[in-house]
Amino acid sequence: MTNELIYGAYILIWPAITFVVLGVICRAVARDVRRARKSDEDLI
Amino acid sequence: MNDTGFTEFSTVTVLLLLAAFYGGTYLLTLLIRKDREDTSGFMVAGHHVGFGMGAASMTATWIWAASFYAAATSGYTYGVSGPIHYGLWGALMILFIYPFGRRFRQLAPNGHTLGELIHARHGASSQLILAGSNILGSVISLMVNFTAAGALVSVLSPLSFETGVIVAGIGVLAYTLTSGFRASVFTDFAQLVALMAIAIIIIPAVLFSAGGTEVMVDGLSRMTDQQASLFSVDAIMNQGAPFFVAVLAYAIGNQTISQRLFAVREKHIKSTFVTATIGYGAIVIGLGMIGLMALSVGMEPIDGNMNNLIPQMVSTYLSPVFVALFFILVIGSLSSTADSDLSALSTIVMADVYGKNIARNNPDPKVMMLVGRITMVVATVAGLVFASFSLDILVMLVFVGALWGAIVFPVIVSCYWDRVTNAAFTWSVVVAMALFCIARFELLEMTGFTVLAFEVLASVGGAVVIGMMVFGFFGRAAGLVAGLITLVAMLVFATGFLRDYMVLVASLTAYGASAVVCTAMTLTSNERFDFDLIRKRVDDYDDAGIEDDAAMIPEGAK
Repeated sequence: MTNELIYGAYILIWPAITFVVLGVICRAVARDVRRARKSDEDLI
Repeated sequence: MNDTGFTEFSTVTVLLLLAAFYGGTYLLTLLIRKDREDTSGFMVAGHHVGFGMGAASMTATWIWAASFYAAATSGYTYGVSGPIHYGLWGALMILFIYPFGRRFRQLAPNGHTLGELIHARHGASSQLILAGSNILGSVISLMVNFTAAGALVSVLSPLSFETGVIVAGIGVLAYTLTSGFRASVFTDFAQLVALMAIAIIIIPAVLFSAGGTEVMVDGLSRMTDQQASLFSVDAIMNQGAPFFVAVLAYAIGNQTISQRLFAVREKHIKSTFVTATIGYGAIVIGLGMIGLMALSVGMEPIDGNMNNLIPQMVSTYLSPVFVALFFILVIGSLSSTADSDLSALSTIVMADVYGKNIARNNPDPKVMMLVGRITMVVATVAGLVFASFSLDILVMLVFVGALWGAIVFPVIVSCYWDRVTNAAFTWSVVVAMALFCIARFELLEMTGFTVLAFEVLASVGGAVVIGMMVFGFFGRAAGLVAGLITLVAMLVFATGFLRDYMVLVASLTAYGASAVVCTAMTLTSNERFDFDLIRKRVDDYDDAGIEDDAAMIPEGAK
């Protein structure tokens, strides 16, 4: 049972980290979009 | 499912998926299109890319189609630690370059390519060595990505390999041609969101559909001791070590990375590259776990081709909807890298070839834009032709990898040490490449004193790799200490042992020889370079009226 938990965690930790990074990037882009609109600049 | 074991879509379905992907991406670029693009926007998005877009773009660019296949192959071949030994070192290539990237930005805040910086520091010969290695790398990457598109389309549909190659080439060119790097970065974000979302769904879906963790643990009994170990020596020596050696070389040699170092707002370089490191590592290692799962359930790759592992696992255990998602995942990853390669190639030709060497620092911005767009068209055609020939790229990759290894020390040291000369840069690369070829292809009999000499050079190379990495983060003293400790350790433990891994010896020789020659020639020079000149010599091309001053021309270019 412990082995299964460890092995499962070893495989599933990567999509979990990917999910967190996706959240960080999306939040940062949303912030960039708001800032660009406020200062009337291009996003890119 | 077809008779080879893959889910096969109809021609219409695949064409619709491709049309939705490339059509949607093209429509996205209309949101940022300008009536008149300027050269700075076209090459580096005006140096104002934010953290979110920058991190997304760096991650998406660094993940190419081969990342998934190679990570899965590593998981299947080396077992538990395999995906880490592919993904971790690839991720560290992004991480270890950012301290040097901050230095590049400090020296040339208006730069577009690393070649421009080296031109301002040394002159044309050093710059063209760097630019040439960048161009070769990007053309190979373009070819590999178009090839992957052709292979995927031909495996999952009745369409031919050539059709997949052509659709990918035209699709990528269509959305990149008008806005260049701006389009590449903007579409990278959308492509990465799709790519990450699909990876988050597919990895657990395959795990649980294949029987869950119980089946995977049972599968450990199928593995050899090395495959079942997280600290496998096989995986370290055959997969990890060659990749570790290449960490700085790939980062320095790749214009797609330096372009982003010049494009992201200076204060966001660290956060952008750290986030991209984690993002890249998580996605690639995660998808590599599908190779490990294939090993655990005892799956044999169809036709013995390891590239079939992921499509096979997805086709076997998941519904066609997931296979379609996987299709988009691969098309998205290869397209994001291909558009970055097109932008990188156009920027090198615009800045390094036309701006610095043809127009001699006084280019016409309109001509420059035309040069950039023509380069994109020519590069796409070249990529399509080479991909259609299904060329063996191994030899090319060997040379380009060695060239990148040989330029690491001279490029980095030139940005910190004011005594390095153009001759020291150029000759160090030439000698390093010659010695690399001797070691790699064993042109001399590798016995006795000869092989020992190469092991010593390789030990110096190892010291350079570690020393440079530590230097980037902790400064000169720490870098020197780390390099010296590595050198002593390698001389004691690696001589007599490294000769069993001649590919590794050859790679390390490229680093070591260039460091020795560059340092020796530099120590004999009395030149002192004023680093402030780089800022003056590297400017945006949209500003007219560059001064015709002798100080603006580097010694090596006079």
